Amino acid sequence: MSFEEIILPGITLIPVLGVVILLIWRKATKTQAAIIGIVSEGFALLIPLLLYSGMKNNGIIAFSLPWIPNMQISFSLELNWLSLIFLLTEVLVTLAAMIYSLGEKTGEKNSNYYYALLLLFSLGMSGTTLADDVFLFYIFWELMLVASVLLILVWGHGESRFKVSLKYFIITHIGSLLVLISLITLYVNFETASLSELIRQAHTLPVNLQTLLTLFFIIGFSVKMAIFPLHIWLPDAHTVAPMPVTIILAAAMLSMGTYGVLRFPYALFPIDTIQPFAIWMMIAGLVSEVYGALMALAEKDIKRIIAYSSVSQMGYILFGMGTLTLRGMEGAIMHVVYHAIVKALLFMVVGILISVTNEREIDKIGGLGMKYPALCISAAIGVLGISGMPPLGIFNSEWMIFAGGFDSGISIALTVMTLLGSIFTVIYALRFFGGIFFGKRSPEDLPAKAPLALTIPTVAVMIFLLVEGLLPGPLLSWAIRGLGTIFGGSG
Amino acid sequence: MSGLFEFVLPAAVLFAGAFLIYLVSRVFRLSNRVEAVLTVVILIATGVLLILQLQGMPGLLQNPEAVFGADPPGGIVFVPNAVGTFILILGTAIGILVSVYSGEYLSRDSRYLHYYPLILLTLMGLMGMFMSVNLFNLFFLTELVTVSVSALIAFRYRREISIKAGFKYLIMSSLGTMIMLLGIYFVYRSTGDLNLTGVLAKPDDLTRIGAACFLLGFSLKAGVFPLHTWVPDVYGHAPSAVSGLLAGVVSKSMLFVMPVICLRLGMTERELGIYLMVFACFNMLVGSIRMLRQRLLRRFLSFSSIAQTGYLMFGLGIGFYYQLDQAFSAGLYLFLVIAVMKSLAFLAAGIFQHHTGTQDMEALTGIGGILTMPALCFSVALAGLAGIPLLAGFTGKWLIFTAALATGDIFAIITLVIFLISTLIGLGGYLPTLVRQYLPLTESQLAAKILNNPVKSPGWMLAPVILLALLVVGIGTYPAPWINLVEQVMKWMLI
Repeated sequence: MSFEEIILPGITLIPVLGVVILLIWRKATKTQAAIIGIVSEGFALLIPLLLYSGMKNNGIIAFSLPWIPNMQISFSLELNWLSLIFLLTEVLVTLAAMIYSLGEKTGEKNSNYYYALLLLFSLGMSGTTLADDVFLFYIFWELMLVASVLLILVWGHGESRFKVSLKYFIITHIGSLLVLISLITLYVNFETASLSELIRQAHTLPVNLQTLLTLFFIIGFSVKMAIFPLHIWLPDAHTVAPMPVTIILAAAMLSMGTYGVLRFPYALFPIDTIQPFAIWMMIAGLVSEVYGALMALAEKDIKRIIAYSSVSQMGYILFGMGTLTLRGMEGAIMHVVYHAIVKALLFMVVGILISVTNEREIDKIGGLGMKYPALCISAAIGVLGISGMPPLGIFNSEWMIFAGGFDSGISIALTVMTLLGSIFTVIYALRFFGGIFFGKRSPEDLPAKAPLALTIPTVAVMIFLLVEGLLPGPLLSWAIRGLGTIFGGSG
Repeated sequence: MSGLFEFVLPAAVLFAGAFLIYLVSRVFRLSNRVEAVLTVVILIATGVLLILQLQGMPGLLQNPEAVFGADPPGGIVFVPNAVGTFILILGTAIGILVSVYSGEYLSRDSRYLHYYPLILLTLMGLMGMFMSVNLFNLFFLTELVTVSVSALIAFRYRREISIKAGFKYLIMSSLGTMIMLLGIYFVYRSTGDLNLTGVLAKPDDLTRIGAACFLLGFSLKAGVFPLHTWVPDVYGHAPSAVSGLLAGVVSKSMLFVMPVICLRLGMTERELGIYLMVFACFNMLVGSIRMLRQRLLRRFLSFSSIAQTGYLMFGLGIGFYYQLDQAFSAGLYLFLVIAVMKSLAFLAAGIFQHHTGTQDMEALTGIGGILTMPALCFSVALAGLAGIPLLAGFTGKWLIFTAALATGDIFAIITLVIFLISTLIGLGGYLPTLVRQYLPLTESQLAAKILNNPVKSPGWMLAPVILLALLVVGIGTYPAPWINLVEQVMKWMLI
C-alpha cells in the first residue's frame, strides 16, 4: 500500500476524530470547539492537496478494507478527478461556514455539539464523494441528511423549525429511497457493492431495467438538487437553518445531487440509455430556472430570495447535464463550483445584513450602500456573479452550458428559452441589490460598522470568486478530466 | 436417547430455577433486588448452556431426535432446532436485562415474588415449543407460555386496566390454543399419532385442516392482522419490562415456531409463503398507519410492533415462497435487531413512566431535558426502528430489500413497495416522537414539569437500557459477525 492510499481515508477519519474529541470535551468554548472543527476539516482539505501529484500520475487513488465480507461490502474509497472537484468545493464551503460561524451567534450554547455536527455534515458529503461502495455511499448520503436535520432542529430559528426539519427529512428521504432501490437492484444483480466493479458491468443489464434505474436515480438525486417540483423542502429549510448551515446546504449539499447523477446513471449506463431523459432534464432545468427566479422576485424575505435562487441555479446545472454534450456537462460541473462560491458569498452577505439590521424584509431595509462599503462591494460582486456577468465565474459556466445546449441538437428552442430565462436572474439579483443598498435609508440606529468577524470571511470569499472567475483554466481541465473518469476519456 | 440431556438441560434449569427462586425468596423473605439477582444467575447459567448447545449444533443435528419416556407413540419427541436455540439465547439475554431492570422497576410493588419465576417459566415454555414436535407436548407448553404471560401482564392487579389487559390476552391467547387443540384433533384423527418426527408421509385433508388450525393459532399469538387487536392493549398496559420481553422476543418468535409444525403437517412452502406475504402487507400498513395517531407512548410502540411483525413475515414469506435462503437469514437478522431495538424502546419508555407516572406523549414533551440518558437511548431505539444508517435497523432493511429484489418477481416487488410505504409512514411516526422529547415545554405539558430538574435514573434501570442502546449502535456499525451467526444458524436449520 502506497503512502497515498494510506492517507486517503484520513479525509473521513480525521473529521471523525474531531467529532469524538468534541463529544468528549463538553466544556469547550465556542472558539475552542471551532478550532477543533476547523483543524480537522483542514486536514480534509490538506490531504487531497497532498494527493494531487499522485492523482496527476495515476488518475485515481483508491483504498479498500473489508467491512461486511459476507455481504460483499467493504469500506472502499476512491478519489478521482470528479470527486476531487466536489470534495474540494464541499470542504472549502464548510471551512468558510465554520469560520463565518465564529462571528455570529449560532452555537454559543453546546458549541461542541454544534461543531461536531457541522463536521459530521461535511463528513457525510466528503464520504459521499469518495465512497466506492454503494452501501457506504448510502450511509454517507444519509449521514449528510441526518446531521443537517439535527443542525436545523436544534439551532434553527423560530418555532416552525420542528415542522420544517421533519418536512425536509421526509421529502429528501423519499428521494434517498429511490436511490436506495436502484443501488440495491444493482447490488443484487451483480452481487457486488463495489461501485467501480458495477461501473464495469452495469451495461450488461437489460435495457428496460437500465432505463428504470436511470429514472429512479435522476428523480432521487433531483430531490436533493431541489429541482422544481421536488424543491418544496428547500425554501423553508434554508430559511429556518442558522446561516452557516444554510451556507453549507445551499453551496455544497445541493450539488451532491449533481454528483450523484454524474456518478451513477451517467457513469453506469451507456449514453443511449440516458438519451431519452435528456430532453426532460433540459425541460425540468428550464422550468426550475424560471420558477426559482420568479419566486425569488416575488419573495420579500431576503434569505428566501437567495434560497429560491438556488432552485433557479440548480436548474442551469440540470439543463447542462441534460444536454449530454461534453461542453454542457463541463459547464454543469463548473457551475457547481462557481455557484458554491457565489451562493456562499450571497448568504454571508445576507447574514451580515440580518445581523446589523435585525430585519429580514427587503422593504424595510434600504440605502445601506454608503454605510457599509465592504459589504456593498461584496454584495455587488455576488449579485453580478449570479447574473452571469463576465469575468465572474458563472459567466464561464453558463457560456459552456448554453454552448452545450446548442451543440446537443436536441432542441435549439429550449436552449434559447433557457438563455432568455436567465434575464429573470438578472432582475431578481438587481432588485435584491438595489433594494438593500440604494433607495431610502432604513432605520437610523444601525451599528456604525458591520461585524468584522463576519466581514473578513465574506471579503475573502469575494476575492476567491474574482480569482476563480479570472483563472478558469485549472477548473476546466479538472472538469474535463472528471468527465473522462465517467466516460473513459471519450465523452 | 443420547443427546437428550443436552436438549432438555437448559429447560430443566429454567423450570427448576423458577420454583427454587420462589421457594427461597418466600422462605428467606428476600428483597426484590436479591430475587432479581438470583434470576439473573439462573438466566446466565441457562444462557451459557444454550450457547454450548448452539456450538454443538452440528453434532446434535446428526442425531436428529431424542425421545423422552417410552418410545413413540407413547413417548414425547424433542428435536434440536438451531433457530429456536438462537432465539432463546436472545430471549435469555433480554430476560437478564429485564430482570436487572425490574430490580428497580418493581421497587414499589409488593408482589414481586411471583414475577421472576413467571419470566423463567415463560422462557422455558418458549424453549419447549421450539423443540417439541409432539403435538400434545406443544399444546401443553403453549399453554404454559400463555398462562405465565397473562399473569405477568396483569401483574399490577390493583389497577383495573392491567387486569383488563391480562384478561384480554388470556382470552385471545386461549382462543389461539383452542384452535390448536382443534387442529390436534384433526391430526390425531387422521394419523393416530401425535409425534411429528418428520414431514407426514401422506398428508390428507384432515391433517391439512390441522395445519391451518396451527397456522391460525400461531398467527393469533404473533399478532398477525386481523388477529392483532390484543397487541396494543397488552403492550400498552402490561408492566414495561414485560412488554419489552413480549414485544421483543416472545410474540414474534411464534412466527418461527409456526413453519416447523405447519410444514410437517403437509402445508406446502408456497402456501405458507403466500399466506405470510399477503398478511405481511396488512400488518405493515395497519401497524404504521395506526401508529401515527396514538397518544400513549407504549400503544404507539405496540402499533410499530405490529408493523415489524409484518416485516418479519415479509422476510420469511419470501424465503418460503421463493425458496430463497438469504431471505430466511434476513428474517432472522431482522428478528435479532427488532428484539434489541424494541425491548430498548419499551424499557426506556418504562423509565419515563416510572419517574413521571404517565405515558401520555403530549405530557412527556420535553422529557429529553430531564431524563437525559433514557431519552437519548430511546432516541437511538426510535432512529434504529426508523432505519437510519449505522444503527441496527438499517442493515435489516438492506437485507430485506436485497432478498425481495433478488427474487425479481412482481409479487415480491409489490410487497416491497408496500414495505417501503410502510417504512415511510413509519418515519412520520418515529421522527416526531423522537423530536417531541426535545421540544421546549408549554404550560400544558405537565409531566415533564413535575420533575422540573434533571433526574438521575437509578442504575438498575439505566444500565440495561444503555447496554441495549450500545448494542443497537454496535450491531449497526459492525454487522458482519451477527450476519455470519445468523447465516450459520439458518444453514443448520435448512439442512
